[in-house]
Amino acid sequence: MELLGQDGREGFGRRANSRFVLILLILVSILLLLSSLYSAQASVFKKARESVLDATAPVLEVFSGPVAYFNGLAGNVSDYFNVLEQNKALREENAELRQWMNEALELRKIVGAYDGLQTYRAPPAAQPIDAYVIGETNDAFARSMIVNAGRAQNIEAGYAVVDNRGLIGRIVDTGARASRVLLLTDVQSRIPVYVEGAAVEGLLVGNTKGKPAIAITEGADDVAIAQGQRVLTSGAGGVMPRGLPVGVIDGEHGDDMMVDLYANYARTRLVRIINYEFPEVGEPLDDVEDGAGEEVVAVTEG
Amino acid sequence: MGYRAEHLLSLLKTVAPLLLGLLGVIILALPIRLFEGAAPTPIIPLVVVFFWSIYAPAYMPSVSVFLIGILQDLLTGGPLGLWAAVYLVTQFVVMSQRSYFLGREQKVVWLGFALAAASASLMLWLVMSLMSGGLLPVGALLAQMTTTVLIYPLFGVAFGEFHRRILVEA
Repeated sequence: MELLGQDGREGFGRRANSRFVLILLILVSILLLLSSLYSAQASVFKKARESVLDATAPVLEVFSGPVAYFNGLAGNVSDYFNVLEQNKALREENAELRQWMNEALELRKIVGAYDGLQTYRAPPAAQPIDAYVIGETNDAFARSMIVNAGRAQNIEAGYAVVDNRGLIGRIVDTGARASRVLLLTDVQSRIPVYVEGAAVEGLLVGNTKGKPAIAITEGADDVAIAQGQRVLTSGAGGVMPRGLPVGVIDGEHGDDMMVDLYANYARTRLVRIINYEFPEVGEPLDDVEDGAGEEVVAVTEG
Repeated sequence: MGYRAEHLLSLLKTVAPLLLGLLGVIILALPIRLFEGAAPTPIIPLVVVFFWSIYAPAYMPSVSVFLIGILQDLLTGGPLGLWAAVYLVTQFVVMSQRSYFLGREQKVVWLGFALAAASASLMLWLVMSLMSGGLLPVGALLAQMTTTVLIYPLFGVAFGEFHRRILVEA
């Protein structure tokens, strides 16, 4: 330990490490912190975040392969111990899903019949973009993931991100070839949702815990919300499409209604980013209503 | 070895802890989910900052600490300046207690690191709670800091060997 106790004799370090510089940098950090409180979306910070995303994306991409391999290895070890139970559960789930499949095929036929009707016009379809998760912030409070698709793939901030289970979050920063997804569990996450069958609209508010809570914005006081009801995106605010599955109601905790998310962040690897263009207000909805449509256009232009 | 090469080598040695810290930040940003995400990733940059601030501050100038913190802030998407402030304050506290820790047993230094990690956690929690407008749950933070404290001896020995054999002697 003797050698470790000595200061290096390099001049660079000794000069730079004065107490003055240290205190100055602490002040600079606190100033940055305060300014990011008031202008989190300031263009300078945004640019910096995006450049760092772009700079680190290739490194993350290289490492994420081996990391996934080792995750799988460690996961396999625990799987060996409960493979029988898992098999049983999967068989039961499979049987249930088969029934759903039949029902879905039946419904598809009915929807097809409706589609054939002249007066019906389908809402614009979403344009999904697939991407891999290459990074994840392992931070106690900030919860986000980095995916390997960016502006080059026409991704913009605000787009919804889903995996094979349900909504996982939304895009907040976009680099050229990588973007950051703010997860539903992050403190800053606010997603407009509604509870199926209860006529309740609200915001899903992240709180760093596994189960975010719903802050109700609209709905009668005596609306009964039962455990197990589905929670879906409401599309309010005009960013995400309506009806993306988010989770199920998991009982109340104090005043808050907790939501058990469909997403399992420990398993999210391939995601789908949903580029959804809302139908513009003022666009004529139907050829039959040509006259009415022109009127609306005139109003919006005037 | 020519003068220029020697100069370059000494510069590389001076920034080696900085590079280790940046590597630690990258590791924090990797999708490591051992045991279904139950095992939190240790905050290696905190160990790097603590270790070199005690044993050889010349290798960990405040500018390096600042850079490590800023990269972590930008990469995690949290409020800019938070981790930089946490690491710099840690360095400030550690350097003010440096004379006490030098030459002590590893166990004592480990305890010192636990205290530094606790104060860093408190700071993180206070700032984030203030920003989110409510007291945040501390479970995840405690788990991550505990993991970091538990792995400290391992990294302490590894960094010690690295410092002695490569940075000082080679």
